[in-house]
Amino acid sequence: MKINKTLLAIGAISVLLFSTPVMASGGGAALSHAEIDVTNQKQIQRGLMVFADVCMGCHSAKYVTYRGLMDYPEIGLTRIEVDELRGQNSLLTGLISDLTIEDAIISYGVAPPDLSLVVPGRRGGADYIYSLLIGYVHDPENKVPEGNFNAVFPGNRIAMPDPLSWLEHDESETAELKQQANDVAAFLAFIADPHQNERRAIGFWVMCFLVLLTLVLWRLKVEVWKDVKH
Amino acid sequence: MLDKMMKTQLFAWVDRRLGLEEIIKSQLTEYPAPKNLNYMWNFGSLALLVLVLQILTGIFLVMYYKPSAELTQGGFTVAFDSVERIMRDVNFGWLLRYMHAVGASMFFVVVYMHIGRGLYYGSYKEPRELLWIIGVIILLIMQGAAFFGYLLPWGQMSFWGATVITNLFGAIPILGEYIGQILVGGFAVGDPTLNRFFSLHYLFPLLLVAIVGGHIHALHTVHSNNPEGIDVHKPEEQINFHPYYTIKDAFGVAFFLLFYCYIVFFNPQLGGYFIEVDNYVPANNLQTPAHIAPVWYLTPWYTILRSFPDKLMGVAAMGGSLAILFVLPFLDRSKVRSARYRPMFRLMVIMFFIDVIVLGYCGHSAPTSVLKVVGQIATAYYFAFFLLLPLVNKFDRTKPVPEGI
Repeated sequence: MKINKTLLAIGAISVLLFSTPVMASGGGAALSHAEIDVTNQKQIQRGLMVFADVCMGCHSAKYVTYRGLMDYPEIGLTRIEVDELRGQNSLLTGLISDLTIEDAIISYGVAPPDLSLVVPGRRGGADYIYSLLIGYVHDPENKVPEGNFNAVFPGNRIAMPDPLSWLEHDESETAELKQQANDVAAFLAFIADPHQNERRAIGFWVMCFLVLLTLVLWRLKVEVWKDVKH
Repeated sequence: MLDKMMKTQLFAWVDRRLGLEEIIKSQLTEYPAPKNLNYMWNFGSLALLVLVLQILTGIFLVMYYKPSAELTQGGFTVAFDSVERIMRDVNFGWLLRYMHAVGASMFFVVVYMHIGRGLYYGSYKEPRELLWIIGVIILLIMQGAAFFGYLLPWGQMSFWGATVITNLFGAIPILGEYIGQILVGGFAVGDPTLNRFFSLHYLFPLLLVAIVGGHIHALHTVHSNNPEGIDVHKPEEQINFHPYYTIKDAFGVAFFLLFYCYIVFFNPQLGGYFIEVDNYVPANNLQTPAHIAPVWYLTPWYTILRSFPDKLMGVAAMGGSLAILFVLPFLDRSKVRSARYRPMFRLMVIMFFIDVIVLGYCGHSAPTSVLKVVGQIATAYYFAFFLLLPLVNKFDRTKPVPEGI
């Protein structure tokens, strides 16, 4: 009876802890799985290059400074590489696009969202970013202009015109473009929470300590209670 | 160890001026507790632990947080920027912020378990009515504190959640609109709202500490209930709080920290339950999110609100669903406390627990016509549970309670 109830309580907590919300993706199409590793410096650096060459044409990541590109070991650029990338910008400025929001609205009709927190800020996270970049298709009803129809974007009509030129690519480029989409998803997943690897590394030791502490206190409790009949 | 400390000269010096020995004896080492309390009685001490953690992490977060809705580069605000500064630049700021955000949810987890235990074992019944009522006040203040705190990062869900909830006051006749404007500090949620919510978010935990003190005082006056729900007086049925329950609570704390730290270090958003996805998008008063839902711990009440076509009725029902907790001790007049010996009540209270989870699920999900009906049925049962109590006691064939434990 007593054990049953304890189990029930633990069960209820576990359901809460380990269930993930089932959300309908607005665009309809199922998301593809992104192969990302936020501890892989090579992948994050490749993603940064895609970000700087392609995304930064319109998008910023204002919470990531040029200095951060050197300081975070997961990115680990050298000072020379950073200097080349930043041009006239100060080390302490964020990765801000040259396109002003006013100009973006004139050209595209909307302000391009800042990408610093885009991975936790979208349902599906990195998978969504990856799927979006390779999700450009021809509008089956031919209403949406070419390059503005995306299978995974909520409502399908997207203002961002096909950044990786996915629509026009031929077979031989598929792997390369998927790689780019993956890499930039990895970069964005990393910069959304730049202390995440440190957090998990510390967390491992915290959990080890707590398991030991729980065991010790459990035995101590049993020892203290051994003469109580209940 | 405590014994040795109490024999020192320093202790004698303090004791003569504070009466410390008397307090330690009456509240710890000679405070009698029933010996048969099960692990459901651990949640009270856990709630106290989380309250302390919230206050400590909160004090340090405030050293870096800036309550201002002034716009900055890229559609962000000073408040949002300061939270990201804590996450990125402040030493171990990420730890403080995740502990605080996860702590808010875990506070409700343990408090809901604590309340559920009180319901099941009849801990609200004579002579513990005031203990229960003080507890309900704590719940209300907690919900207020959580609501105010959720506005502070100034994300999309912060902004729209606050907009939806403060608009509810408009439904109250005559004074409603005025109350809404006072709360918001204007005609729409904006910078003045953020500042006053920040002030209240600091005030409410201080109130909590004071009222929790009252809760514990009331508990130590009437003493703990127990799973059998009978009065315990005989010395052989009681054990001293220290060391028996201090060590059991310590074990409970370590076990709880396993879950808490796992979430903090490995899954702080908990798939959008503890920190919602939309709150990583800066607040934008021109763009409503596709689906506005409060954080999980407020969703049962949100469903009750949504179950009525009329806004005023919804608001009244939501208020009533919390207010009815105050009168529970007076609705349930059964002499038997524990559900173990009340078969019909036991069934009803277990269904009530399931009902609240169903209400929470409905409030968290995007509204559909099926969920609306499910939510309405669940709302009906929520009230039926309380209102049927006087009637049920007439028919419930209670089993004989044991003489002792």
